Amino acid sequence: MAAFTSPREIGVAQYLTLHIEEVGDGTDPLPRTRGEFPGSPVVLDADGRLETGMLTAVVDGIGGMTSGLSCLPDWIVTTNLALRRADDALVGQRGTGPLVVDVRVLRRGRSSVVTRGEVTSVAGDAVATFWLTCAVLTPEGGPPQFERPVGRLERVVPDDPIFRAPPAEFFGLEAGTRPGEVLLHPEPRLRNPWGILHGGATAVALDTTARGLVTGTSDPAAATGAVVTDLVVHYLSPGRVGPLVARATDAGPSPASPNGDRLVRVEVRDRGADDRAVALAMTTVRRRDR
Amino acid sequence: MHLLGIIVDQDIDGDVRGTITVTPHLLGADGNPRLAVVAMLIDALGGLRSITAADPDWAFTADMSVHLGASGPMHHLRADLHVRRRGRRTLVIEVELVADDERPAGRAILTFAVVPRPEHLAGLDVRTEPGRRPMGTTDEVLDTDWLTEVGATVTAPGTVVIDTRREVQNTVGALHGAMHAALVDEASVSLGRSLLGGPCAVTDLQLAYLDLARSSPLTATATAVGAPSIDDASLAVVVELHDADGRLCSYSTTRVHRVGADR
Repeated sequence: MAAFTSPREIGVAQYLTLHIEEVGDGTDPLPRTRGEFPGSPVVLDADGRLETGMLTAVVDGIGGMTSGLSCLPDWIVTTNLALRRADDALVGQRGTGPLVVDVRVLRRGRSSVVTRGEVTSVAGDAVATFWLTCAVLTPEGGPPQFERPVGRLERVVPDDPIFRAPPAEFFGLEAGTRPGEVLLHPEPRLRNPWGILHGGATAVALDTTARGLVTGTSDPAAATGAVVTDLVVHYLSPGRVGPLVARATDAGPSPASPNGDRLVRVEVRDRGADDRAVALAMTTVRRRDR
Repeated sequence: MHLLGIIVDQDIDGDVRGTITVTPHLLGADGNPRLAVVAMLIDALGGLRSITAADPDWAFTADMSVHLGASGPMHHLRADLHVRRRGRRTLVIEVELVADDERPAGRAILTFAVVPRPEHLAGLDVRTEPGRRPMGTTDEVLDTDWLTEVGATVTAPGTVVIDTRREVQNTVGALHGAMHAALVDEASVSLGRSLLGGPCAVTDLQLAYLDLARSSPLTATATAVGAPSIDDASLAVVVELHDADGRLCSYSTTRVHRVGADR
């Protein structure tokens, strides 16, 4: 394991350019934070909306950090995350553009932390709600260094042009052998300070895979005809070697819209690590043309 | 739990499969088994599966997610459980739901916190041997709908109250985990009826358990996440369950749909 250097230098966080600030004086045992996501055009879809995998990467970043603040001098690793998008912010102008994320820790136990959050547009419209569970651990090399309360954490975007590439390219996604299969190559920029694949990268891969299955495309950049309306992802083991293979399977129609919404199960495995299971997710995918 | 009449099959590796007969008392407004009922089934089976999976330790349910499928009318609902991870501190179990042994009826995932076996549970005798058997026994018959039997009362749109009693408690005298889901279901449906303007059902649930719910009455409060979809067909909901002392005991999100509003 590498020592944790600076939260400013996590590649996924630098790509997302989420600015985070602690709310309050830093003494609350159940910390609160607020994040501002500027929504650079390259990461938004044609309507100006963030895909659910990218949104999950955003909330995993700020939710994990907020959970970690409640555990200092220990730190955390996300074990599972549940996200649900607001129904009225799935189409049209509502929920597009820059976003605000408000996060607070609900429970800090001996070995786990539960944290909730809300995502809104800058106009105050609800975009999504989420909660995540983290396991408390003592990281080798120590936890990240924070002064409390955490002041506005600005991300410095590296000069490398990959940090201005579309999500499918930045996250190292490659078409699999069929629609509903995507490969992810865990480049160094996609790893956390301990060398493990960032949970947000896994979320982007599984979201892309689920949408690809429903829209019938294997091209990670082309699965734009559907949106994941909710997801729950369980991180089962660290992704270390790669390539990681995300495979989606159809689990039948959703009662909400039997002719439009599909339940999709996604499994992510690390092919280079004896095909070890890395993540398991359930999603609901809605076709945009319904 | 006993009123559901779960028949469980357990194999030599500890894997579990359970089946219930679906009666009209278990159905929601859309004709599918209510999420509250499915949660009871999978929580009971998950607890049973966790005993051998966590042995010699113990496991408490930490969270639950359920996605119901549009499987249509059914006579039987089966749940097949698969252990996906047994770590030092967590256990993850996936549940596959099947209608009449042939149609997909949804999926669920349960997380358990693995802990040293508590002293007060050291002598607890739960049957885990291979074979087929009823899960619990009772002479009673469910002769009303499940939520009425549970004793949940809607006091306002999105607000449901329950007085705890032995029948809805777990082994430590707190509200049973599946009862959290029942209250969340009812609070969500109640809010949906009010905001969507018709009979509603919950399609999926994401539930995190935070604290033992002991002091009564317990109140589940549902609030909308944004507005309904533009066709008033569905709504995202957050449900908080507090005990009588104001402690937040569980936190959930659901999606509610108006029956008959298929896009």
